[in-house]
Amino acid sequence: MADLANTGSLQLRDVTKMFGTFRAVDSVNLDIQKGEFLTLLGPSGSGKTTLLMMIAGFLDITHGDIALDGASIADVPAEKRNFGMVFQGYALFPHMSVRDNVGYALSVRKKPAPEIKTRVDEMLELVQLQDFADRKPTQLSGGQQQRVALARALCFAPPVLLLDEPLGALDKKLRVEVQEQLKDIHRRIGTTFIYVTHDQEEALSMSDRIVIMRDGSIEQVGTPKELYERPATRFAASFLGKSNFITQGVKTFALRPEKIDLRVGQGGDDARTSGTIRSITYFGSMQRIIVDTAQGDEIEVDIDVWRNQEALSVGAAVDLLWQDAAAVELKET
Amino acid sequence: MQDKQFMKEMLTDSAQAYKQGRMDRRTFLALCGASGVALTAVMAGDAEAAADHVVMWNWGGQSEECHGSAIGDAFTASTGKGLRFDTSGPLEGKIKEMVESGNVTADVADADLFNAVSLGPTGHLEPIDYSVVSKDKTLPGYALEYGVSVILYGYAFVYDTEAYGDNPPQNWADFFDTAKFPGMRSLYKWANGSLEAALMADGVAGDALYPLDMDRALAKIKSIKDESLYWGSGSEAHSMCVNGEVSMGMVWQNRGRNIENDTDGRYKLVNNQALAMPGAYIVPKGNPAGAAAMQFIATAQEVPAQLALLDCLGMTPSNPAAFGQIPEDQQPYAITSAMNIDKIVYNDPTWWGENGGDAVNAFLDTIS
Amino acid sequence: MNALRKHIHPGWLIIAPLLVMVMALYLGPILNILWLSVTDPEPGFGNYAKLGESDALIRILWTTVRICIITTVFSVTLGYSIAYAMMHCHQRQKNYMLTLLLVSFWISILVRTFSWLMLLGRRGLVNVALEDIGLIAEPIAFMRNELGVLIGMIHYMIPYAVLPLLVSMQAIDQRVMDASRNLGASGSQTFLRIYLPLTTPGLVASTLLVFILSLGFYVTPAVLGGGKVLMVAEYISVQLLVTLQWGTAAMLAALMLFGVLAMLWIMSRFMKLSTVFGGAAR
Repeated sequence: MADLANTGSLQLRDVTKMFGTFRAVDSVNLDIQKGEFLTLLGPSGSGKTTLLMMIAGFLDITHGDIALDGASIADVPAEKRNFGMVFQGYALFPHMSVRDNVGYALSVRKKPAPEIKTRVDEMLELVQLQDFADRKPTQLSGGQQQRVALARALCFAPPVLLLDEPLGALDKKLRVEVQEQLKDIHRRIGTTFIYVTHDQEEALSMSDRIVIMRDGSIEQVGTPKELYERPATRFAASFLGKSNFITQGVKTFALRPEKIDLRVGQGGDDARTSGTIRSITYFGSMQRIIVDTAQGDEIEVDIDVWRNQEALSVGAAVDLLWQDAAAVELKET
Repeated sequence: MQDKQFMKEMLTDSAQAYKQGRMDRRTFLALCGASGVALTAVMAGDAEAAADHVVMWNWGGQSEECHGSAIGDAFTASTGKGLRFDTSGPLEGKIKEMVESGNVTADVADADLFNAVSLGPTGHLEPIDYSVVSKDKTLPGYALEYGVSVILYGYAFVYDTEAYGDNPPQNWADFFDTAKFPGMRSLYKWANGSLEAALMADGVAGDALYPLDMDRALAKIKSIKDESLYWGSGSEAHSMCVNGEVSMGMVWQNRGRNIENDTDGRYKLVNNQALAMPGAYIVPKGNPAGAAAMQFIATAQEVPAQLALLDCLGMTPSNPAAFGQIPEDQQPYAITSAMNIDKIVYNDPTWWGENGGDAVNAFLDTIS
Repeated sequence: MNALRKHIHPGWLIIAPLLVMVMALYLGPILNILWLSVTDPEPGFGNYAKLGESDALIRILWTTVRICIITTVFSVTLGYSIAYAMMHCHQRQKNYMLTLLLVSFWISILVRTFSWLMLLGRRGLVNVALEDIGLIAEPIAFMRNELGVLIGMIHYMIPYAVLPLLVSMQAIDQRVMDASRNLGASGSQTFLRIYLPLTTPGLVASTLLVFILSLGFYVTPAVLGGGKVLMVAEYISVQLLVTLQWGTAAMLAALMLFGVLAMLWIMSRFMKLSTVFGGAAR
């Protein structure tokens, strides 16, 4: 593989994209480390794909700058940026074999045929598709197509790999499997991955860092654990995992449902609040209980299924308890 | 085919009888049933036609109006029968197809006399009933077994007076002489007239044209091929002159007046050596109106009809009795008028009827 | 009956009357033509033997094929650029272009043919203008020759060429083009290696459509060719209507039919015809 030791960091400065008067991406500042697995997470319309397309060079930036290893690439056309990309729906070349798809980047660079062959074999081995080299993309399953797209994007050893919802078309079970493979490949080749998804589980399980985007701006950046444990805003807290919000005076706190304990009976000294059970939903690994509090709030509690099996029933009076650290104060509502 | 023909005739006869009250409805229906013909078809189509009108198959345009006023009115006055039109153009192949399909819907076709020669003996035409139609009311030789010439048209040429004003072309020899008269020419695409003109240009006398010497004619045609365009319809011949595409153009002689008018006299008609073509009325075999067709043809032969056709369509009378009555202003454009009749030559329908197909193909082969 | 049901989907029964009608209305006349070609004027293959005997027939066929090929090449090439432009301009302009394209279908071929005479004839607008500004001394012979026929036919055929191309271009996923650029391919590489191959079914459909339609051209060659450009369709009609050589006409018609079938067969050896005729591009 090509020498990636000193390349692959990206600097985004004030990156803005206007469509007419609409600000699709609004002054995004972000430093992406070499070799990092960075996820852009957000609902549709949050600007994450637009941002990725600007990094790829398919969209011009309205103002601001994008730099690779400190050197601006804002004026470099897409075909000269040398960024690999896995497209939503894969965008494989339907008239070419798997081998020709994977070797395309080298072939358009006029590399000698033997070199291409060696490299393509290497890539097919990486994604475990050695036996499918001569098939057409349509003869492959969704997961296999996804791997071809990955091999194709990585074949010319790009410093940065952009992935636009690459697992969106796969069913849930396959998705988990492919997540593992993707992470594994990322570890082995050390390329910078910039990954766009709206799936919070995917973001949490794969990323080194997650950028939560909302309405064209960055809402919060951090490791999965930081974001989950210390969400800065109500949006961040509710988009990544589930959260209860508790207002005390002017302050609002986020409280994850699994960090609340529940005790049958009311009026304990240590109780934060109390209420009655409105519903119980069984999920196998846990049960979700919705409690109406005396203050008129509604609080979700996730508890283990083996606890308090008999006493828990709809209408039962309960106390709710949690540690101080469990309630995270939010910057704004 | 013969059976179908017979059945058809029987049915139309009986339809006629039914209409005239000679046959009761029950018998008529039984006949229809027996022949396997839907009553409605007979009633709506042939029977109706048989009973009260003649269908004339012509080329549309002005002829519909002119045939109506020149012949139809007099025909209706004398027979009480109406005149209807099929304007799809009775090309030889269409007549053949109509008769062979057994669904004959026309009574009189406005065709060429040579069509009578080629389609008559093959059983596609009714013979002309010369007890009704007069052999004397057409030119000698133009009253044939299966068709009679009712009008004449002709092939003449026009020339551009601006190109040849001082020394105008006089005859077909000049027409084919592109050295002495430089410029483009136009000829009729389907050989007719073009071959005769070529032979006359090559020195053959007008009364010694037939049988046509094809090789000689085609060689002459070929000699000006690079300077020639070929037209397939009267309007095309007209536009080639009016748009200045040709300096001399063969035209249907009855179109001469229009071309002179539309070019403000820049193009002028030459009638010398014009070839008179016998336009004929022929009757498809098994025509629905039966004998009424002959009455219609006879009406068209009468002098008033002949003159009215000239006035309305520019078609020249073929009845010699009408020649002397052609009005003065129409004389230059009437091929048999006193001022033209001594300059013209006559088409031989028999030669064309027998050899036309091969002649057309040989001609097409030469010009394409 | 039950055994029959097993093999025949009941749906066929519903469309059976239509099928029978189509068979009768299409196959009947075709069989009639084939029959005529070996029976008129006398039984045997005499009509087909004429192909070997008559230089004229061969020349007419060759003229037809030559003109059809040239027409097809130009119509499809120009059609490709038009379709491409339509795909890559703003929706508004695309709608305008599509409207113009469809409007041209409604203008009769005769009107279009005579318009060309007005425009490019000896005393047409173009020649008169060029003479007036002194560029030429003699009018240029655009019309009444093979060039005129080609201009008229190509003009008539371009909309037919555009539509199948437009369909196949519309079916292309823009992301596939992006992927090619992303992988380092230049614009021309992307076009030649991705766009062109992916629009090949459209190209083939458009080529077949234009070529087959061109074979039957009659009015345009007759008028714009000045009588000197004789194509098969016109020749057939002359044989049917004027010279009454129905056998020759039927033979030529059969020949064209076989020619087109042979062309489709050869195509089918190289590609799935279902993709050409709008099936999934798989």
